[in-house]
Amino acid sequence: MPDISRRDFLKLTRDGLLYLSGALAIGGLLRFLNFQTEAIPQTEFDLGPAENYLPGTETILSEIPAILIHSEKEFTAISLICTHLGCTVGQSSNGFACPCHGSQFDLEGKVLHGPANKNLQVLRIEQTADGHLHLFTN
Amino acid sequence: MRKWIVIASGILLLSLSLAWWLNSRQPKPVELIPTLTNQPEYCVTCHVDLPEISSSHPIKTFGCVSCHGGERLALDANLAHSTMRGGANPSDLSVVEISCGGSNCHSGSEANDRNHIQRVMTSVQSTYAGAIANILFTFGAQKDLIAHYGINSVTDEQTKTGITSLFKFSPSNEANLFIQQFSGHCLTCHINAVPREGAAFARQTGCAACHSTGKHTLTTAIPYTQCNACHNRGNYDLRTMTFVERTDHPTDRLHNYYQPIAQFTRCEYTLDCVDCHTRSEAMGDGDIHSNQKDIQYVQCKTCHGTPTELPHTKPLTNSNDIAFRMAFLNPVVKIKIGDTILVTEKSEPLWNTRVLSDGTYEMIGKATRQDFIFRPVMGSKCTQNGQDQSSAYCHTCHSVNR
Repeated sequence: MPDISRRDFLKLTRDGLLYLSGALAIGGLLRFLNFQTEAIPQTEFDLGPAENYLPGTETILSEIPAILIHSEKEFTAISLICTHLGCTVGQSSNGFACPCHGSQFDLEGKVLHGPANKNLQVLRIEQTADGHLHLFTN
Repeated sequence: MRKWIVIASGILLLSLSLAWWLNSRQPKPVELIPTLTNQPEYCVTCHVDLPEISSSHPIKTFGCVSCHGGERLALDANLAHSTMRGGANPSDLSVVEISCGGSNCHSGSEANDRNHIQRVMTSVQSTYAGAIANILFTFGAQKDLIAHYGINSVTDEQTKTGITSLFKFSPSNEANLFIQQFSGHCLTCHINAVPREGAAFARQTGCAACHSTGKHTLTTAIPYTQCNACHNRGNYDLRTMTFVERTDHPTDRLHNYYQPIAQFTRCEYTLDCVDCHTRSEAMGDGDIHSNQKDIQYVQCKTCHGTPTELPHTKPLTNSNDIAFRMAFLNPVVKIKIGDTILVTEKSEPLWNTRVLSDGTYEMIGKATRQDFIFRPVMGSKCTQNGQDQSSAYCHTCHSVNR
């Protein structure tokens, strides 16, 4: 181990601390500039391969929330967010019903009974080249 | 120069260490993005154990800030709570319009029957106009018993009672000693009061006074004990103009419901107040009234009829009938199109009742879910004059002996 003088040791320590504080300051500044207080809500969802959803089936996508309907002709998706105040509607005998305030919608999402006065949102569905379904909520 | 760089660097390192230490002490934020606002809030980081306030206000939909206000991204309790509305009670009438209002919520149109806040603001529970008018009249400060003053000034331009406005009652303007004493002692008994000090009283104003029956709860299944938090609590002593709390502390329903001096029938203590008294009686009908008697109209005959008349009934034919909405909010009974229910003299639905095929009536307790079967007076041995329907007449024969 080479001998190191006390002076050199202190100089080395001082320079190390200087470089460390500079690096930390730059790191802190970058973190500050990149800090996101609010996450951007997801608006596009990969639903996986289209073949997972057989014709004639309805699939509740609870994390969105939406219902994916695969009719004989096409895929359609309806948002399950009530247009009154945003509660998640559930399936009922004649379509959808809101558990919070009682709004009712038919199977296509059209208002049957208030307090909601707008239909449920029909969501855009696209099939990608690799056969995956992508659903857009915006 | 180099010496100062070293000192600055040391200070920077210390500052960064302090910032890291403070940050490490902060709780890891738990994010909630309510569908109503789509804006993240971190309240549940600390308030993780709070129960859902009601099935109509799920936290996933409303979050916390829509109703309570506050700094949604703050993790420091003092900062987070610094801009809350109404403290523990965002339904306090001083802030209710911001917390609970809006055309989609409780400040909607009269046509849709969603004008709850407007009705409450002009109700006697809020204005206290009857008590004020009576005291001012009794002690010669006004010449009639018509309400001219309320706790706050209110207006009702579409009045059906002839009273278009109330001035704010200002006790300091009154010279009479009794009126001053009344002002000092008796103006805390309304839902528009400044709440009495202490956590126990924090939710005894605004909507919560009736609808919050426990910690973080809103309900329309209101038990009599909630009403008794204000009513049947004691009596006014008119000599000293003070309120004297009742001294008995019964724990059973029979004795706890009414004060010892009260007369009542069996149904008046087995049922809860809200089983008979309607929301317009309790929350107001939108008009300004001069006293409680003008708005409280349900009597024994509302459900039982008289010796010569059956009570009013109504078949349910329209799914938009308000009876269905009320039964939805408190699903103690499953009513359906084709059912016949009792209605009041003002056509308010007693949606928790049903006319049975044998001519009797069924009522389900809104708070207890108890099933009660009762008969009309018509066809019974009752010989009461059909016009004499105040409770005193019925109590003559039917009062409970306790």
